Amino acid sequence: MNFTLLLTVAVSVCLIGILLRLYVWFSQGIHPPAATLTLPQRLAAAGKALGGALFGPRSITVLKSIFLDLLFQQRVFDKNTLRWIAHGLIFTGFLLLFFLHALDSLITERLFSDYQSTLDPYLFLRNLFGLMVLAGVAIAVYRRITLRPQRLMTYAGDWAALIFVGGIILSGMLLEGAKISSYSTFQRMLDDTGITDEQEIQALAAYWIEKNGLVIAHNPPAITPELVAQGQEISAGSCGECHAANSSAFVSFGLAKITGPLMASGEAGAVSFLWYLHILFCLTFLAWLPFSKMFHIISAPVSLIITRIMGKENGEPANVLTRQMIGLSACTHCGACSLECSSNMFFESFHNDFILPSEKVQFLKHIAAGKELDSATLKKLQQGLYICTSCDRCTNICPSGINLKELFVSSRYALLDRGIPETSMLSHFSFPLALAQSYTGDHLKALKVVEQLFRKSFTALADMVRPLTLERGGTFANPSYRSCYACQRCTNICPVVRSYDNPGEALGMLPHQIIFSLGIGKVDLAMGAKMIWSCSTCYLCQEHCPNQVELCDIFYGLKNAAIARIEEGGRS
Amino acid sequence: MKFAFFQGCNIPVRVEQYADSTEAVLQTFGIELVRIPEFNCCGYPMRNVDEKAYIMPSVRNMAIAEKAGLDILVICNCCFASLQKAKSVVDKDRALREEFNTLLAKEGLAYSGTARIRHYLTVLHEDVGIETIRNKLVNTCKGLKLSVIHGCHILRPREITQFDDSFVPRITEDLVGVTGATSLDWRGRMECCGAALAGLNDELSRKLLQEKISGARQAGADYITPICSYCHLQFDTTQSNMAAEAPGSEILPVLLYPQLLGLCLGIDERRLGMTGNRTIATSDIDHIKSLLGPPVEEKKKKVRQQAA
Repeated sequence: MNFTLLLTVAVSVCLIGILLRLYVWFSQGIHPPAATLTLPQRLAAAGKALGGALFGPRSITVLKSIFLDLLFQQRVFDKNTLRWIAHGLIFTGFLLLFFLHALDSLITERLFSDYQSTLDPYLFLRNLFGLMVLAGVAIAVYRRITLRPQRLMTYAGDWAALIFVGGIILSGMLLEGAKISSYSTFQRMLDDTGITDEQEIQALAAYWIEKNGLVIAHNPPAITPELVAQGQEISAGSCGECHAANSSAFVSFGLAKITGPLMASGEAGAVSFLWYLHILFCLTFLAWLPFSKMFHIISAPVSLIITRIMGKENGEPANVLTRQMIGLSACTHCGACSLECSSNMFFESFHNDFILPSEKVQFLKHIAAGKELDSATLKKLQQGLYICTSCDRCTNICPSGINLKELFVSSRYALLDRGIPETSMLSHFSFPLALAQSYTGDHLKALKVVEQLFRKSFTALADMVRPLTLERGGTFANPSYRSCYACQRCTNICPVVRSYDNPGEALGMLPHQIIFSLGIGKVDLAMGAKMIWSCSTCYLCQEHCPNQVELCDIFYGLKNAAIARIEEGGRS
Repeated sequence: MKFAFFQGCNIPVRVEQYADSTEAVLQTFGIELVRIPEFNCCGYPMRNVDEKAYIMPSVRNMAIAEKAGLDILVICNCCFASLQKAKSVVDKDRALREEFNTLLAKEGLAYSGTARIRHYLTVLHEDVGIETIRNKLVNTCKGLKLSVIHGCHILRPREITQFDDSFVPRITEDLVGVTGATSLDWRGRMECCGAALAGLNDELSRKLLQEKISGARQAGADYITPICSYCHLQFDTTQSNMAAEAPGSEILPVLLYPQLLGLCLGIDERRLGMTGNRTIATSDIDHIKSLLGPPVEEKKKKVRQQAA
């Protein structure tokens, strides 16, 4: 197939892909609803911010960011040397190969008038850069395998990226190796030299077989030191100008020693097969780039510069959504956030991938795109978004500088807004949210939904029509309630009870009444009392109880049981 | 002396000054705090939802400290209580311990219970000792009246936290006393700041907080000294939020204990992060500094006696 045609197709797909993803930056968003802003409005706001960044005092910050964040990768350097080395090797090696080798006719030839791909230092450097990339890929593979127990998730797309990058380099090296040993390539080059004398050709072949890895399958010349010496002289005169010793291509030359004898009989076919393989790897990678995590080549620098300028603060409201979308597209699924996530142990308890920040951020693009999700997935995502200590570690560590904190907070409330009750709201993860005072109204609204669910699921004491009777079998795990001798000291000392004019009504049941109801086997009644959720967990009751009833611990147990009951109900 | 420094989730991002000032103070007494990035949440936020999910994270944290061969030093009360609770649970429940250990083994960790959980106040009180602190003082802060609020989860339940007498706590009294400041006896000293209800029932949470602010002020406090980071956030952040909603209301500024002790030890106030407290005004800092004066004669006499 025609190379130019393939190249044109790949470049077109790549460009269209990039345009599509840029369109997504300015047309989608998580929260507040994207519909409130039009595309031109968002483009204008972004343009204004860009102008301000490039032509103002902030341009210094941008420059600093280019050097520190983009080229030096400081965020990775500060956290993990091995990952910094791996990324550095791939980044530097690949970029240099791209400019100096893939674009040699556009760049290298113009920079260096004597450029020949077969001359040193180019021959040597290509191998060096290639080896750098391979070493980086090897570290990345090692990291993905060894960190699996530390909750590093790897998708097919992550392996694909490594296979593409490694495949490009490896196929290129194999191709070069095949060319080194190829007799037809030797003949083609021989034609360029204009040597026709049969004996001279024999000598030259002998020298290239002996020193440069050439393999001739049929009737190779008999190698003698004299012939090799003669060939060396001819080579120096006729080939040296355009071709360095193949040993400079130290990796390919080594490969040729293995592959040469293997493919000697079909060497011409092997060269053209490997050429196609190499080109196919490169062009497929190019076409795949904008649709994969490799788009971070474009989005991560933008995200990093924005974060260097803005930090965790939100800028213009019109740019909030755009920054969210740039952030989402900049995630490389490196898993650094999940490795340091403070909530990582809750993932082990709840077996919900979305508790890990890297998995949340990977999935949020579906929410941003307005995709309809089934309620089970939504519920899991909502729980994952809520089980978060707001410690900001993920945001501080993200190598792409994604403002994860903002993304997670806004998606949390965007999801809660759909009215699916979230029982984790009753955890102390709500504490930092109350401090931050953002989304106060949304938070209260979502709490109401949970409250309603509780009211529906449990009968309150006040609503009971029939007199209370003794219930059989209704025992509670913590047996200390049995020691209660009804002195009511717990209720009398409770700071919550004294906060209300009519505590019985406000709290459903008073602390001692909860213990009484456990005593008569009415565990459900206790589970539905508002008192347990109004408990400030100060442990005064428990500490002052003359009979060692573990009130506060019992309340915790009742809260756990009530949530478990509700979650069960939701599933069945 | 060396400890694994357990800061929890709130302190590194919301109360950095607590960690910085504690570190500066302990350094004065030759105590090194090792920051361990692998530590995760103590589990406390999950306690309302699932007891096992609440216990497990602390077991991992203790296993990490064990691996590093260090005892854990904690600032936050809720982290402290969670670690102590987890320890007491898995030390009794062998089956649960095995279950957690199977999980931890995947990442090369194991809990055996060798790492001790220490509160920084206990370390100052027991390991350093009041006399050593007194001998290092450059200043005392006579005339400073503050209300200490212990926070619930450090005192109660006493069999779990094992911090101090839960009815008549002495540690804070001794530690404030040595600085020359007055720790007031006030009604809310051992009561709840309302943090556990924030986000669940803000109205009640703020009511409990307001009760403490008024109580401290009535007792004549110039400053409130919360021990727990949750209490700190209630008195510092929530109080500021409340003040913003009710302009003209008077603020009761927060002064953390290591900040006070740090000033008396002659540590630079910038290292103590005084301005990190949202409720403390420049005039308050000046007021505290104006009260600083050289320690009383006793110390000099003692030093002379020792020299003689």
